[in-house]
Amino acid sequence: MNHRHLLPDEIDLLVDDEVGFGVTPLKAHIRDCAQCRAQVEDARLVVGALEQVPHFSPSHTFADRVMAQVPVFVPWHVTARDTVARWLPQSRSARLAVAALATSAASVLTVTILWIATQTDVLLLASSAAGDQIQNFVYNSGRDVLATVFGDQMFAIIQHTGTVGIAAALLGLAAATGASIAGLRALAGVSSRRRA
Amino acid sequence: MPPALDLLNLPDADVVVLAQQGRDTAFRELIRRYERPVFSLIYRMVRDRELAEDLAQDTFIKVLNHIDRYRPEFKLSSWLFKIANNVAIDHLRRRQLETVSIDGSPHAQTSDAIEATSFDVVGQQESALDELEARELGTAIERAISSLRPEYRSCIMLRHVEGRSYEEIAATLDLPLGTVKTYIHRARHELRRALEHVREGSE
Repeated sequence: MNHRHLLPDEIDLLVDDEVGFGVTPLKAHIRDCAQCRAQVEDARLVVGALEQVPHFSPSHTFADRVMAQVPVFVPWHVTARDTVARWLPQSRSARLAVAALATSAASVLTVTILWIATQTDVLLLASSAAGDQIQNFVYNSGRDVLATVFGDQMFAIIQHTGTVGIAAALLGLAAATGASIAGLRALAGVSSRRRA
Repeated sequence: MPPALDLLNLPDADVVVLAQQGRDTAFRELIRRYERPVFSLIYRMVRDRELAEDLAQDTFIKVLNHIDRYRPEFKLSSWLFKIANNVAIDHLRRRQLETVSIDGSPHAQTSDAIEATSFDVVGQQESALDELEARELGTAIERAISSLRPEYRSCIMLRHVEGRSYEEIAATLDLPLGTVKTYIHRARHELRRALEHVREGSE
């Protein structure tokens, strides 16, 4: 028998049912020491009573009141996934069929893209044709604008002077347009100041 | 519409993931799981039912509004208890309400209010005598708990009502492990002394 009584933390070790080498001599001590045994039993009674303390329930509207103040936000990726899930068929066989169809379509598309990418001549021909089309469109549009603004006779003279003449006419047109806008704004400013 | 989920059998971490995905039912499941422990902890701290509901509500709102910040390496319940303890302690500090009575809230003005805020502790024993003894011990232990210092109260509740380890309590309450052990030891000691007369009476 040990000649000293158990310390408070040693009593706690026994009350908490701790295990280990250090606990064995404590257990041996309380077998022989009535005073320490009584202390441990008292502490165990308190702990036993505490462990039977019940939970209390809040009112039945508690969850609703909490949820009224918790905005539930659905992230975009979850929305997208749910949308896909809605469109997918429910049965396993139908899902397999859809997966097979999608795989086939993706394969055909991939092969087509790869084939086009390897056809350099075709790509060059197509891009050249597209370039010509754009150039013609711009040229015709510019010519129509000049003919409308300057008239057909004047346009014929400008056209006769060549590229320099057309560029000068376009610049003159742009300058005249800018000057007109500036003049109109100045007039509008004067008019509003007079009203004020 | 996403497929129906068996939320009841999912661990907390999985339910939290569903809540992070915006599933309303997952939020409600988390409330269902922890409303009683959280409310009980706060109620035993403040001893006023209406106030405890408000503080428990604040606790859940704080946690659920920041559910995206939850890290699965920690227990959700520890996070909830930490917030619950903080809101209760903050309230007690504001009101300087250190000790309370088992016989009703100190804010109760009428007899109805006193009755509504007094503890009703019923055991699960079968015989009338056992029930009477359990009720007496239950009431005595509630009274003894309510007379503890708030920090002892939260430690002892987490240890013996919620079954948390010393380490979990230390992490939950942001206290050193040694402090938690000391608080629990002192709380047990004070409870033992407070319950002596009940034990002596029953012997």
